[in-house]
Amino acid sequence: MQKRTKFKILIIAMILLTVTGLSAKDVDLRGMVRSYTGFRFSEQDIAVNEQTIDLTLEGWGDMTRLVINPYAYVGTSSEPELGIREAYVDIFFDNADLRVGKQAIIWGQAEGAFITDIVSPRDMRSFILADFREIRKGVPAVKADYYAGSYTFEGIWIPRFVPTSMPGKDSMWMQDMDLKPGVTITPQPVDQPAFDLKNSEIFGKMQYFGPRISWEVMGGYAWTDTPYISSLTPTGPSTVDANQAYGRYKVVGGSLSTAIGPVVLRSEAAVYLDKPFSVITLGSPPSIDVENHHQVQALAGLDWGLWGIEMSAQYIFSYIHDFKDGVIEQGKKLTEFDHTFTFRMADTFLDDRLTAKVFVYFEADPLNALIRPSLTWSIEDGVLIEGGVELFVGSEGTFGSYKDNSLAFVALRWYF
Amino acid sequence: MKNMRTVLIMLVIGLFLTTTLTAQITGRQVMEQVYSRDSGNNMSANLSMTITNARGSTRERSIVQFRQDDGTVENKIMFFTAPADVRNTSFLSYSYADGRKDDQWIYLPALSRVKRIASDKTKDSFMGSDFTYDDMGVRHPSADTHTLLREEVIDGWNCYVVESVPVDSSSDFAKTISWIIKDEWIGLKKEFYSAKGNVARRLVINESARFDDIWVITNMTMSNLEKNTSTRITMDNVSFNNNLSANFFTERQMKIGPRI
Repeated sequence: MQKRTKFKILIIAMILLTVTGLSAKDVDLRGMVRSYTGFRFSEQDIAVNEQTIDLTLEGWGDMTRLVINPYAYVGTSSEPELGIREAYVDIFFDNADLRVGKQAIIWGQAEGAFITDIVSPRDMRSFILADFREIRKGVPAVKADYYAGSYTFEGIWIPRFVPTSMPGKDSMWMQDMDLKPGVTITPQPVDQPAFDLKNSEIFGKMQYFGPRISWEVMGGYAWTDTPYISSLTPTGPSTVDANQAYGRYKVVGGSLSTAIGPVVLRSEAAVYLDKPFSVITLGSPPSIDVENHHQVQALAGLDWGLWGIEMSAQYIFSYIHDFKDGVIEQGKKLTEFDHTFTFRMADTFLDDRLTAKVFVYFEADPLNALIRPSLTWSIEDGVLIEGGVELFVGSEGTFGSYKDNSLAFVALRWYF
Repeated sequence: MKNMRTVLIMLVIGLFLTTTLTAQITGRQVMEQVYSRDSGNNMSANLSMTITNARGSTRERSIVQFRQDDGTVENKIMFFTAPADVRNTSFLSYSYADGRKDDQWIYLPALSRVKRIASDKTKDSFMGSDFTYDDMGVRHPSADTHTLLREEVIDGWNCYVVESVPVDSSSDFAKTISWIIKDEWIGLKKEFYSAKGNVARRLVINESARFDDIWVITNMTMSNLEKNTSTRITMDNVSFNNNLSANFFTERQMKIGPRI
């Protein structure tokens, strides 16, 4: 076992002992153990075999709460991983809360899309297939909420930058930068912004929580959580290195939800101001310019029920202002307008023991989709077995480019 | 003449007495008394739900519930504490005395997000039990047309028997018949009839108790006679008039959990 892993185990053990030593009646331990196995159709192999333990320790004082969320993960081909997803202290006042520490922050109304929900970076090592909660990474932050009747004012300060985690070089989710046929582009390691006050991220939100309508407006000064290509350095006749960087941008946005008869309407929009984009010129050798563009992302969604079946549909729209051909992000060409649709349907049977659901992402141009049907059976209270398919349809686009990664999976979850 | 006057007086008195005796309470008045029965400014309780399926196997659910009623809006928040896979899920509803549709939200810890949900879930099963979301709330008298059928004595209690037919024709039951204890205005039994005229579900109040001079149902069983399933709810740690903050029935508390 590596020294670093031993050190992490020691730290987690110390935290566990500290928390459990606080006061038995005020400490709560809960968690989840999961075994997940995925069979890949294209290679006819067991592409994913993961074991995860996720614990949450919660300690309560009279006006404070301590939350620690350690986890352990063993993947198919990676080193065992120990980490702390969240570790924070809440201080509750009559009309205000203060949260200090490593925390995952989730904003907005969108399902499976990140529009105003950009405070916490993401863990994309399994693309978007990880459990929703596990996609968000914790960030060291100070979060303050002030409550005035139905209004909430929230401010967040993130002193240290944390990037989105991308798939490793050997991961099935790693994608080549296929920008020019015959040219191999190799991404280079990227330096993170220094731990400096001027590199902080700040976000603010005003929220109204009401019976007829709930809405929020937000703004922030952020880093791009994924790097953009800042330049290309030729290393041979058909090879270039892609140098990467993180960039600054400002964001303003908002969201709302309201019930119209039996239907819930959700909407969310954000404008990313002067966001840095890479623009590639496919000469010999290819070159990169970095340009700042405004980008708009918006969503309209409906939730409704029919014959006891829960349904949800969303339309997600993206627009890049002053667009020009060659704008790329994550090594993929972008278009001026982008349209994505999602659809979710879920129902329960047999006294709620069996849950059937399907979630579909669908991009119109180029035509591609991710279809995720699954069945979950509650063996007994707190023990669930889930089987399903992650079907990537198409040959290009956000989902089609993973066409070789379609898989069937089975997951056993044990909650305590 | 004197005799004539006496006869007239006797007739008037007789007519008055007859009118008074026949001026019975109406079905609507009974259900309004039930609806407006004193239930405290607010209440909290721990609920245990035992769901029994047709094969006789059981599952347990635990909930901590807070309720507050200011006469125009009933706010309710439920925190699910067991089983582990739904732990920390919370459900908030605002129910309106004027008969408007409820506003409802759910907090799902797996998503770390509060979601507004459509209020037409009222017919859906509550957590896989034989109760619906509608059963877990207080049904406004204006939602039904009520008829007083008769009076009966059950377990020594004098009861009004009231038939209630939903105003909304899309309701999942054709009518209900309720047995309401006279002058206490608390139910003893309720039967839900299907469109075919059969009793589809039956609610039996096993135990009620007075806390701070307020009647509370502490043990009840809903049986689904068509599916041969049943759900028993027991209630303990009942308390009234708690010192709840103004922010209690909000998104903030849904995320914090059942801590006052």
